[in-house]
Amino acid sequence: MAGQTDIELIKNGIRMDGRKPDELREVKIVAGVLDNADGSCYLEWGNNKVYAGVFGPMECHPRHKQKADRAIVQARYTMAPFSVNDRKRPGLDRRSSEISYIVSQAFEKVVMVEEFPKASIRVDMQVVEAHAGTRCAAMTAASVALADAGIPMRDMIPACASGKVNDVVVLDLNKEEDNYGQADLPLAIIPSTGEVVLLQLDGHLTPEEFELALELATSGCMDLYKKMRIALENSYGGKA
Amino acid sequence: MSNDSVSNLMKGHMESLAKEGKRADGRGINEYREVKIETGMINTAEGSAMVHLGKTKVLCGIKMLIGTPYGDSPRSGTMMTTTELAPLADQSFDPGPPREKSIELSRVVDRGIRESRMIDFESLCIEEGEKVWTVFIDLHILDNNGNLFDCCTLAAAAALSNTMIPNVQHGVSDKDVKLAVTCWPISCTFGKLGDSVILDPTSEEESVMTARFTVAHDENGNLRAAQKGMNGAFGNDEIKEAVKTARASDNVLREALKGIQG
Amino acid sequence: MSEESSVTSNRKLVLPGDLMETKSKPGKGIFRSEGRIHSSVVGYSNDKSGYINVNAIAGRYSPKVGDKIIAICVETGPSIWRMDIGASFNSTLHHSESSWKVPFGDTARFLAIGDAIWAEIFMVDAAGSHQISLKKDDSRKLYSGTIVKVNPTNVPRVIGKQGSMISLIRENTSTRIQIGQNGYIWIDGKGEDIALAQEAIETINREATSEGLTKKIEKLLEK
Repeated sequence: MAGQTDIELIKNGIRMDGRKPDELREVKIVAGVLDNADGSCYLEWGNNKVYAGVFGPMECHPRHKQKADRAIVQARYTMAPFSVNDRKRPGLDRRSSEISYIVSQAFEKVVMVEEFPKASIRVDMQVVEAHAGTRCAAMTAASVALADAGIPMRDMIPACASGKVNDVVVLDLNKEEDNYGQADLPLAIIPSTGEVVLLQLDGHLTPEEFELALELATSGCMDLYKKMRIALENSYGGKA
Repeated sequence: MSNDSVSNLMKGHMESLAKEGKRADGRGINEYREVKIETGMINTAEGSAMVHLGKTKVLCGIKMLIGTPYGDSPRSGTMMTTTELAPLADQSFDPGPPREKSIELSRVVDRGIRESRMIDFESLCIEEGEKVWTVFIDLHILDNNGNLFDCCTLAAAAALSNTMIPNVQHGVSDKDVKLAVTCWPISCTFGKLGDSVILDPTSEEESVMTARFTVAHDENGNLRAAQKGMNGAFGNDEIKEAVKTARASDNVLREALKGIQG
Repeated sequence: MSEESSVTSNRKLVLPGDLMETKSKPGKGIFRSEGRIHSSVVGYSNDKSGYINVNAIAGRYSPKVGDKIIAICVETGPSIWRMDIGASFNSTLHHSESSWKVPFGDTARFLAIGDAIWAEIFMVDAAGSHQISLKKDDSRKLYSGTIVKVNPTNVPRVIGKQGSMISLIRENTSTRIQIGQNGYIWIDGKGEDIALAQEAIETINREATSEGLTKKIEKLLEK
């Protein structure tokens, strides 16, 4: 977050990419795109492009990570070297490791881990093109991939960010807004209960703005949840 | 399907089919699976391509950055190839730093592209001895159903063929230009299955075959790179025959590559 | 072999977390929260004889006692074999559950890595581990033919209504076929007959949810 900026990111209530403050970028979700994985999903969110694949439940490796009474979720978020303008070094950096860790924990809340003692559920998220909001895109794709893999869950978790640009609270920051905006708040919720399973914030928000941002991100999550449902219905040719 | 145990029955069946010139998926022993190439889907890359070889899927992105030349070739651009065996592509791909398998794959693809002189490295010199372009070929394996060698070489060639040199972004000149591509290296990979040699093995075939042989040709039919892998062996005649078969069979892949040049 | 309706169009697809309007007791693919019943998987619901189930549309094989399965040996111990059955964990076959007299440490002489058997699940414990038996009914080691793997949730499609699909394949290819509940299928016969039967079964697995599947398979088998 660069904080205050002279760049005009919103003019007459319309953002640089033509969206209203409470509007999501375009989202496309396709379930079951990979053959080898037990479940998979391809997701485009604005110009973000993400693949998610799930294997399991299966024997947990390394063994010392096994839990005697439940499964663990091993999520891994990585960005391809060509996913950003300046080439990114391949592999896990500190940012990717942190995201992988908090996403694993978020999924352990909804996945019925108690049904699979000693097992591991591997969730791999590959960002192949990044334009702000990739952790939310990756998490949403991973939720669909988990459902596609037949993993029992209490719910699917959509994720969506809100933030602040030019002192206005807006939904789903794009690249410029993320670079020059004042705050970014990624959120993931359980739609059926409204519970928060992931929340991060960086930047500057007044207490009033925070509440507004939380509400906006929650409504963004609910919109995404509908799109996730449609993707799965299309994939299985049924109507829910 | 993610379970990769292979029964001795499957092995015997595949070997006896191969003896009659047949495959479990209905192909002949010297036949490629269906090839599909898409290009230009990644906007953050200077060039990109997705190749489907049967159910195997590889995404390649090209990045170009300014670097310094090697001391012994002050007027040559440089190149680097990496492969990411993404854990979502195969249950047996461990998360973690690259292993030998991934390094071997990167190096074989790298040699095919480099030795064929597909890229004219001298054209990548910006300032002799000081500044040259470095071409990063990053291969992302998304779905592994066998023969990553050929699929990766094809993806790299296809991505390079639609790469724009980012002159503007790096202040080299005021216009981006197409990366010049001089020829098309194609690699063909064979597996030894029982007493037979098969082209373009699937992962099921890979799990029962004993040896692998990859050969890359340029479009004039000359050899540019080769690699024998795995702990089995080929006879001298089998190698010669495979090289001939590769020359006769690689036009399927050449046609697919021509298709994207429109 | 269990028989499930293969018609998908008039049933309701449910997703994880969906509330189920029912007075029945929760069965499989279901969880209870604050007294209400929800689906835990993607699948089709089935509400009869007092129980509501959601039959998952995807997922690994979940072993049930009495299931006939095909297993492939992946490891041998002094008195046991570890068998791949396509579940989350490998299964155990204890030498006492085989029909052989196995001297201690000599297991591989009877069943080596890669060998396959037609067997039955005889024990599943709460921690998710399971054992198989080679003593029941027609259980045996398999000596010829090949094994094809399909998604276990597609097994009812491969069998077809009253076994119609599998009979169609058997008759048109002159093969012997045994279908494990775990989605591993044994096919025996002449090489090219096996190949044709395998192609038919893999087509069903790939296009399990599409319409007009029987016609498509009939056409494929005319070759």
